[in-house]
Amino acid sequence: MRHNFLDRYASLDSPLHNLEARTKLLGFVALTLGVLWIPAGKNLSFFAYFLLTAVLMGISQIPLSYIVGRMVAILPFVVLAGLGAPWTDHFEGARVVAIVLRSILSLLLLILLTSTTPFAELLRGLRKLGCPKILVINLAFLYRYLFVLTEEVLRMRQARDSRRIGRAPVLAEFKLLGAMLGSLLIRSFERAERMYHAMLSRGYDGDLPVLAPRRFTWLDLGFIAGVALFIVGVRP
Amino acid sequence: MHIPDGFLSNKIWIALDVLSGTSILYAARRLHLEASARIVPLMGVLSAFVFAAQLLNFPVLGGTSGHLVGGALLAILLGPLAGFLTMATVLIAQALFLQDGGLAALGANIFNIGAVPCFVGYGLFRLLAGSSLGGSRLALAGFVSGWVSLVLSAVCCAIELALSQAIPIEVGLPAMAGYHAVIGVAEGGLTAGLLVFLGQVRPDLIKRTPDLKMNAGDWVLALGFVALPVLILVLAGSSSLPDPLQSLLSSARPARESNPDGGDLLSPSRFPEYLMAAAILVACSGFAYALARLVQGRSRKS
Repeated sequence: MRHNFLDRYASLDSPLHNLEARTKLLGFVALTLGVLWIPAGKNLSFFAYFLLTAVLMGISQIPLSYIVGRMVAILPFVVLAGLGAPWTDHFEGARVVAIVLRSILSLLLLILLTSTTPFAELLRGLRKLGCPKILVINLAFLYRYLFVLTEEVLRMRQARDSRRIGRAPVLAEFKLLGAMLGSLLIRSFERAERMYHAMLSRGYDGDLPVLAPRRFTWLDLGFIAGVALFIVGVRP
Repeated sequence: MHIPDGFLSNKIWIALDVLSGTSILYAARRLHLEASARIVPLMGVLSAFVFAAQLLNFPVLGGTSGHLVGGALLAILLGPLAGFLTMATVLIAQALFLQDGGLAALGANIFNIGAVPCFVGYGLFRLLAGSSLGGSRLALAGFVSGWVSLVLSAVCCAIELALSQAIPIEVGLPAMAGYHAVIGVAEGGLTAGLLVFLGQVRPDLIKRTPDLKMNAGDWVLALGFVALPVLILVLAGSSSLPDPLQSLLSSARPARESNPDGGDLLSPSRFPEYLMAAAILVACSGFAYALARLVQGRSRKS
């Protein structure tokens, strides 16, 4: 089974991948804020941000098909905004275009941030930026247990499918689903408890040591400076 | 229902970011004091559980699909604060892994999908279920809290989008609330089914946790949850719209005079212009992408 479907492209090698997680988080958040503050009708600013994003995408070496596939997430909202646009007088065309452009740009930036950073590093960056410890622990557990859960689900599905043919009536189907989810929950909870006690007894205190943490380098300084210059330069 | 960036106006997402951020900090502080070896692994595994459950889509009417959201379930199993924190974790992970919901809109999503279902769902469940640990009363309470919390979060989402003037309330509210009223049946059913199952197998998980007492901070938090959205409504309304509720709910619309060239922006005669602009944008971005990729690929080989 695939164990890396979440941060699949995080181990590629590019200048973007080599940045420290904090730098990247701050830089991309700043760029996103910049995008959100472009007023409607400022086409040149949108153009500049699109060019920058395209260059960053090219540098990152992430396959274009993956990025395009992720854009589906904003489709329902675009459709609703488009449906609503001609319907009322408040919602003139330039606004809707600006909203769609902004959402595309910030989604691209988010994809760039998350698929160039391994999750452990992202968590370390979040923790160093002052994220509450219990939240970071929880995120780390989510990531660890997800694979345990996925394997459990696959096993249970196989067990179910090998014991029946076709589908049950809707109500029975829901009962079955509820029971499956329930036993999934209990099995994985009991396993998680065991794992947690094992971790505690081996000295786990909530911090996640990273073997070779990335350091703040000239590259990071350059990235931050570049982002700052760009945002100030394109400022509407 | 995860709102992407760009659809909420700045005022609204900033306000909701502040609200969700402070409630996360508060919940983390509260739980850190009370955190036991019991709650931490349970929160971790439940967040993974909800994350995985949200990946599994089931088909709804007309080609669309829905999935379990689980806010009410988490709050019932963990208590409202830990449930809220767990839901926030799931939403952060979804934004980071799956790009479901934007970075800046994270606060709004945590409010809609985390805070509202957890707190409302928990309250409803406690009200309806009483102290029963099984049977039809538990199932009913689970179903109602699951359904109501889901529909309510869809309504919040629609209202925020309408206040941002991104999706008008006449389109957004029926679409979101109607769709989620259908999905909510599955959500409520699954919540009830899981609770009944857990009540039979591990009743200790759904027993009311005795150490949950509302202290002063909790009351302030609860008040904040009522006061801040109202404040947002007022703020968002006061500057851009003459009267927020009036213009949101009434069918009477102000004339188009405020925006002289807004009218013909969507006229068919301007479509070639738009196509041209889009083509130039795509061409330039594509060129920049290809160039950057080539240069980067070459420097890596050498």
